Amino acid sequence: MSAEPSAQELRDLVAEFEPNKGHVMPALHKVQETYGYISRPAIEAIARQLNTTPALVYGAVSFYSDFRTHPPAQTEIAWCSGPACRLAGGDRIREAMQATLELPLGGESDDHRYGIHVGQCNGTCSEAPQVWLNGQVVGNLTVSKAIEMAREIRGGGE
Amino acid sequence: MNVELVNLRGAAREKWAAEMNSGRVRLNVTLDTSSIARGAEDTLAALRNGVAANKLAADVNITGSWGFCWMEPCVAVRSSAGTKTVLYANVTADRVEEFLDRVVVQGQDMPELALGIVEGNATAEIPLLADHPFMKGQVRRLMANLGFTDPENIDHYMANGGYEGFGKALEMDAEAIIKEMLDSGLGGRGGGGFPAGRKWDFLRSANADPRYLICNADEGDPGAWVNRVLMEGDPHLIVEGMLIAALGAKARAGYIYIRYEYPLAIDRMRKAIADAYAKGLLGENILGTGLDFDLYVFKGAGAYVCGEETGLINSIDSYRGMPRIKPPFPAQAGLWNKPTNVNNVESYANAPLIMRNGAAWWSGVSDEKEKGTKMFTFSGSVNWQGCIEIPFGPTVRTALDQYAGGMKGGKACKGFQPGGPLSGMLNGRELDLTLTLDPYRGKGMFLGSGGIVFFDDSACVIDMCKFFVAFCEDESCGRCTTCHGGSQRAVEVMRRIQAGGGREADIDNLEKLIQTLVWSNCLHGQFTMTTVKTSLKEFRDEWVEHIVDKRCRAGVCEGLIQYRVRSQTASGLEEAAAICPTGAVQQERGQWFIDDGLCIRCGACKEQSPDGLEVVPRLAATPTLAAATAAGG
Repeated sequence: MSAEPSAQELRDLVAEFEPNKGHVMPALHKVQETYGYISRPAIEAIARQLNTTPALVYGAVSFYSDFRTHPPAQTEIAWCSGPACRLAGGDRIREAMQATLELPLGGESDDHRYGIHVGQCNGTCSEAPQVWLNGQVVGNLTVSKAIEMAREIRGGGE
Repeated sequence: MNVELVNLRGAAREKWAAEMNSGRVRLNVTLDTSSIARGAEDTLAALRNGVAANKLAADVNITGSWGFCWMEPCVAVRSSAGTKTVLYANVTADRVEEFLDRVVVQGQDMPELALGIVEGNATAEIPLLADHPFMKGQVRRLMANLGFTDPENIDHYMANGGYEGFGKALEMDAEAIIKEMLDSGLGGRGGGGFPAGRKWDFLRSANADPRYLICNADEGDPGAWVNRVLMEGDPHLIVEGMLIAALGAKARAGYIYIRYEYPLAIDRMRKAIADAYAKGLLGENILGTGLDFDLYVFKGAGAYVCGEETGLINSIDSYRGMPRIKPPFPAQAGLWNKPTNVNNVESYANAPLIMRNGAAWWSGVSDEKEKGTKMFTFSGSVNWQGCIEIPFGPTVRTALDQYAGGMKGGKACKGFQPGGPLSGMLNGRELDLTLTLDPYRGKGMFLGSGGIVFFDDSACVIDMCKFFVAFCEDESCGRCTTCHGGSQRAVEVMRRIQAGGGREADIDNLEKLIQTLVWSNCLHGQFTMTTVKTSLKEFRDEWVEHIVDKRCRAGVCEGLIQYRVRSQTASGLEEAAAICPTGAVQQERGQWFIDDGLCIRCGACKEQSPDGLEVVPRLAATPTLAAATAAGG
């Protein structure tokens, strides 16, 4: 993870965006693509650039599930919540992974090494039940395989 | 036709012809999100490396989906003479070396991976692809290029009829374009079915400038991926459709709002738009005709409710994607309070076909009230999780038996959800309903946008209802108390039932909530309880069983079941204890048992020792702690 960007860096990053042109989301995406998350200073920089208030920008950040206000964990498990995965035992996989990682859904370990959150169905339903490991599909899971994966993720690096 | 367009299309056809007549073998690899999930990128790289390393006379291209999503990676092989094309499935990277050797070097077929002959004659070992049950009865119009052209190559699109419809529309006035659209009978494909031509006419008649077009590509229904297949497979179809709409509805700019979960669709649409600009098909004074139209991709960020058209508009021009209160309708005051038309991906994508071939041709494919073709995807407990395009008319049973390959393990279909979490849930007894709009409307539900989910007796209806309403609760924008509070309450009641604390009044409680949520402002709240409403009719026994008998026939609801050791001597019990994430599988004085207080009902133990463990109705009649504390008094 890169060091905290300066206020000037943030201002430069969002300098291309203009008020009242539907640029809130594009600016937020650009910040998150650059830094991995949207920091408080970034929200302030966007608000200033778009001639609006940090409260309104934060309102957008909090509305959409993709925007995060903290850096992602090194290993992010996105658990597919779709119906095909659920019918294939996806919810039991979630329970088992959470129990193994000792995390709530949306939580991450204190050392930021791993986290687990909800992912939405993107129609790769032949792979159900699946999770995404840092964006890569891991499909055709069993509960046992998911536990072993979670144990490896939890134990790795120790 | 516009001279510039004629020249562009002529040049594209020459390039296409040169590729087709290159005398080289053509390998078309399906590269989309579904195939990538099954290793298509590795296959593509292996094919390219193999062709380069062995200096084979073959070209490796990418293409869109054939719909055989469950058998990716698919590779279509066209012979060097261009007389024969064979479609292969499951061409994983580890098979590429042998694959190249046999189909390219030796010029033979590889029957064990072949799905069928696309072009040419059937052989003793490989039937025609058209005779594959999955292909029979399909009418591929929107999907016509998928499998053949490179979605990232505008010339491929133009050489295969692309922008011809736009060229014809350029010679028509707006009224004539709208008349053609109305004559076609194209209904909105997002689920509503409202005539697209009428929507365009509303926009054209609006007396304010500029007018905007929005393409709703926020395909958020879990289990639906038809729009993704189209955007990833033939993105120019949507660009051209929006250009035609710009002419018909006199719009100045357009936005394609794509959910962030579809990064490849976003990339392909952006590439298509950039290429269209480069050819002068977008921007100012398009092809010298005086038409100005700008088109942008707008990337969503994860909010199901942005699939509601005014939520989508707010998401672009405001901050939070909260649906607006109608009226005013978007055609009066939409994006930046200017007249705006919102259509689904599939709706716009049909416009080029209607313009190119005429309304009569387009609507002639089906006798049903709904005209044209519709794309569907199938998932859940079925054998084939694919994507098809058929005329309106076949039954759900045909879809299941023929296109989804039947239920897994030959089990009976317990029920299905026709199209997304708002659409409702039907019993397997209703499989003879046709895939048209009316039968579902008659039941207070709707067909939806095309993602059908089938389930068997391993699914618990109450669990599915809880899941869908919890999804809606999560995705509620928060404006209406009926919706955000009502869905929360409904989830609490269902959780309590699942935990073993169901009360006789709960069905009444849920029915009250069904009545209450319909007062919500937008479709999201109005339809949140559809699944519960329809399932209370279709699966009432199962609800009563959960509430009164405290029994879950599917063995899913955690407060109504427990795991138990069935055999002390079965194999796998050691492994079961090792895999258990909570240490619930224990042994005392040589006897295995499950500590029910620790057990989270994940079932990993039973995977390890199927004979040693069993799921039984929960023995203790007392509700679990969760049941006692959930949902208050």
